Amino acid sequence: MVAQATVLDDLHAIIGNKHAFRPDEAGRFVVDGISPQAVVEPGSYEEVAAVLRYASEAGLAVIPLGGGSRRHIGNLPARYDLALSLSRLEKIIEHEPADLTVTCQAGISIAELQQRLKAHGQRVPFNAGSGHQASVGGVLAANANGPSRAAYGALRDYTIGMRVVTADGRITRAGGKVVKNVAGYDLCKLYTGSLGTLGVIVEATFKVMPVSRRERSIALRLRSPSDACGLAAELYRRGLAFSHVELSSAGGGNDVGWFLEILLAGSQGAVDRSEKELLGLAPRFKAELAASNEANETRSAGESNDDQLLCRLSVLASQLAALIEEIKRLESPLMVAEPITGVLRASWPAVDAAAVLESARAVAAKHEAVCVVEHCSVELKQRIDVFGDPPPAFALMRRVKQQFDPKGILSPGRFVGRL
Amino acid sequence: MKRSDLILDLQAAIGRSWVLHAPEDLLVYEYDGTIDRGLPEAVVLPEDAKGVATAVRIARKHHVPVTARGAGTGLSGGAIPCEGGVVIVTTRMNRIVELDSENRIAIVEPGVINLDISRAAAPHGLYYAPDPSSQKACSIGGNVAENAGGPHCLRYGTTTNHVLGLEIVTADGQVLWLGGKTADTPGYDLTGVIVGSEGTLAIVTKVIVRLLHKPEATITLLGIFDAVTQASRAVSAIIGKGMVPAALEMMDKNTMDAVEPFVHAGYPPDAGAVLLIEVEGLKEDAQEQADAVASICRELEAREIRIGLSQEDRDRLWAGRKGALGALGRLAPSYYILDGVIPRTLLPTVLDGVYEACERFGFRVANVFHAGDGNLHPNVMFDERVPGATQKVLDLGEEIMRLCVDAGGSITGEHGVGYEKRNYMSWIFSEDDLEVMSRLKAAFGASERFNPGKVFPTSKGCGEVSSRMRAAIAKVGADAYV
Repeated sequence: MVAQATVLDDLHAIIGNKHAFRPDEAGRFVVDGISPQAVVEPGSYEEVAAVLRYASEAGLAVIPLGGGSRRHIGNLPARYDLALSLSRLEKIIEHEPADLTVTCQAGISIAELQQRLKAHGQRVPFNAGSGHQASVGGVLAANANGPSRAAYGALRDYTIGMRVVTADGRITRAGGKVVKNVAGYDLCKLYTGSLGTLGVIVEATFKVMPVSRRERSIALRLRSPSDACGLAAELYRRGLAFSHVELSSAGGGNDVGWFLEILLAGSQGAVDRSEKELLGLAPRFKAELAASNEANETRSAGESNDDQLLCRLSVLASQLAALIEEIKRLESPLMVAEPITGVLRASWPAVDAAAVLESARAVAAKHEAVCVVEHCSVELKQRIDVFGDPPPAFALMRRVKQQFDPKGILSPGRFVGRL
Repeated sequence: MKRSDLILDLQAAIGRSWVLHAPEDLLVYEYDGTIDRGLPEAVVLPEDAKGVATAVRIARKHHVPVTARGAGTGLSGGAIPCEGGVVIVTTRMNRIVELDSENRIAIVEPGVINLDISRAAAPHGLYYAPDPSSQKACSIGGNVAENAGGPHCLRYGTTTNHVLGLEIVTADGQVLWLGGKTADTPGYDLTGVIVGSEGTLAIVTKVIVRLLHKPEATITLLGIFDAVTQASRAVSAIIGKGMVPAALEMMDKNTMDAVEPFVHAGYPPDAGAVLLIEVEGLKEDAQEQADAVASICRELEAREIRIGLSQEDRDRLWAGRKGALGALGRLAPSYYILDGVIPRTLLPTVLDGVYEACERFGFRVANVFHAGDGNLHPNVMFDERVPGATQKVLDLGEEIMRLCVDAGGSITGEHGVGYEKRNYMSWIFSEDDLEVMSRLKAAFGASERFNPGKVFPTSKGCGEVSSRMRAAIAKVGADAYV
C-alpha cells in the first residue's frame, strides 16, 4: 500500500495541486460510510487516463463519481482509495439540433444538459425524477430509468455512443454519433448499468427528441393497485399520448390511497383526445380525479430518511398489482411503481430492515420478481448482497470483470455478486 | 483428428439425418446473401439448445470452429464458415415457445422467421417491430446476430431495442440465460452485447422479444421529386423539425426503373427520387404529422405528394420497396450492395458525393435506403465478367465508405461488419477500442471458436474466397434484400 501522503503528492504531480485533495468534511465523497484517501477532479480525458494508470500501478481502488445522487446504489465497496470526480468534465461536445443527437461529457448534470437542449426545443428522455445534481455519467453507470421508460425506452435505447477510460488508462470509444450503427460490439450496452466497475464513462452521445408541444398532468385516485394497473394498461394499449405514468401509495393500514399520475404529452389534438378518453375510462376502473398536489405531498414525506430501506422490484407487468398487494402487507409507507414496465420501488424505515428485506425477497421470489436494494443502512449492507442471489450468467460476468479490470481497481465489490 | 471422426461423432450425438457431409449437400451452406464462400466440413441441424451445445462440444473436441446459420439472407457474410469447421443451422429450431400477450413478450427459437412472429402476435393486436426487407425469409437468430434493422426502425429502433433476453450456448458448450422477461435484470447487460456480435461470442438458442401494440392509425405518403438533392433536403428538413416518422425511405430513379416493370408499384417512371413515408400513432397525431411532412415536401419542391392511399396502393409501394434489390437484377448482371451511415443533416452532400464517385468510376448506381436514419444503401451495378471490374467496384465501395466515415458516420448501419468490412473497422475504431472489444471475446472464451475471421481486422483471407471475390457482391436474384 502506498502511503497516503505519497498518493496525494503523486496525484498533484499528475493533475496539479488544485485538483487533487483530501476529502472535505461535508462528506461529498463518502460512499457507504467510507471516505477515500484522496479526491481527484480531472479536467480532461487524458487526465482521467493518467489518474487511472497511476491507480492501476499503485493498486488503488477508484470510485468514479458524478453528481453523487446515486452513491447509495451498489454493494459496500471492498476498498475505496480514490474518488474520481467527473464534475469538471461538463461540456457539451457537439449538438447539431437537426441531427437529433447530442454528445456531452459525463460530468454535466442532467438538469444543465436539458436546459441547454431546451433552448433548441429538444431534450433527452431522462426521467424527471433524476434529481438536479445527477450527472449524465452517473445516470448511465447506475442505469437509472424511470416512469418515462414505457413511452420513450430505457437509457440503453437512446444512448448511441460513449467514450470510456479503461482501468489501465486507455481512452476508448464505443458506438458512434449516428443513430444507426452495428460496427463492432455494442459496448455501450455493457457499460450502461455497470456501476463504474468496467471503465469510467467520460462522454456519451444520445438521441434527442423534441420537447412535447403540449403537456397535461392528470392525477387519479384509485381504490386498488389492480384498478390502477388495469387503467394504465388500457391507456398503453390504446396508444394514448403520454410521457409518463406513475403509481404511488399514500397512507397506511386500511387507509391506503392509490394515485396514478399521468403526464399526457404530444400534439394538441392527441393530448385533448387522450385526456377525454382517459377520463372516460376512469369510472370503469373506479378512478376519480385527485386534488392537484395530493399525490406529491404524500410522496415527499417518505424521502428524507438516511437509513431507510428502499427496494426496487422488477416483475412482469401482469403480476405487478398482486406484488404490490403483498408488499403492502409488509407495511411499506411508500410505494412508487411504473405500471406498464412492472417496476416497483418500496421503502421502509430503518427499524427491522433486515427482517423486512427478507420478507420482501420472499414475496419477490414468489412472483419471479427481481429485488434490488437501492438504499439501506451501512450496517445492513455489511450483511447482504444488495442485488440478491447472483444471476445465472454470473460466472460469465465475473470473467467480463476480470478482462476489463484485471487488477480490480474499479469500484471493487460494489457490483452484482460483489464484483 | 480426421474429418470422418468428426462426422461420426456428430451423427452419433445429433442423429444421422441431421448431419450433412456429402460435397453436394455442403455446397448449399457455403454461401449467404453475399458472394463470399467457405465450405464447411460438416453441417448439423440440431432441434434444440441441448443439440447445439453437444455440437459445439464435439467441434471443440475436434479443434474445428463453429459458425451459426439461420436463413442465410445475411449481407456481410456472417453465416459463411471462413475457416471451415461445423455449420450449425437453426432451421429446425423454429418454434414460438411462448406468446404472452398480456405482457407483450414472446419467447422464440432462433429459426423462427421474422414475419412469423408478427403473424402469431396479430390476433392480439401486437406485432414485432424490426422489419428487415427480408422479413419473409430471414430468421430471428440471424436478426439478433446482425442487430438487423429495417424501414420502421427509424421510429421503433433496431433488433437490440426489442430483445429482452437470450438463451445462449457458450464456446464451452454451456447453456445459459441472459437477461429475462422483466424490465430490469441484475448484472451486466450481456444480452445487449450478444445482439450484433455476428455470431462470434455465442450461439443464440432462444430469444425473448418485446412486442408492440399496433398503432391506431398509419398514413402513408409518397413524395415525388425531380431530383435526389431535393428529396434528400426534404429528409434533412423533416428530421430537423424534430419529426420522427415511422419510416422515411428514399428510392432514386435507377431503383424505380428496375422496380416498376417488375412490381407495378405505382412509382412514377420519370421522377428523380421518391420518398416513401409512413407516420403512425393516434389518428390525430398521424394526421398532424402527415400534414407537416407534406408541407415540408411541398416547400422543398416536391413535384407531387400522394396521400390518402388505399391499402392496396400502400401494399404495392412497400412490395416495390422491399423487393427493390431483387428487381435491380434486371439492370445489370452483378451489383455491389453498400451499407453506410451518415448524420442526417449531411444527406444532400454525401449523396452528391456518392453519385459523383460512381460516375467517375464509370458505374451506374441505384440508391434505395433508410433515409430517415441516414443509412445509405448504394447498389453499384457492374459486370463481373469484364476484366478488372470487380476490383474497380471494390475500390469505389471503399471510397463511398470513406465518405461516410469522413462525414462522422459508420461503416455499417444494419448489415454487419462480417468479413467484408473488417479491415475498415480501424477507420472508426482505434487499436485500443478494438482491443477492448476483444476482451469481451476473451471473457466469452470464444477466441476463434465461433465464426472466425469476422468483425476484427486481420490480414488473413476468408477460406476459399479468392481476392477477386472478397467483397459482398450479390448475384442477381429476387431473394436478396436491403
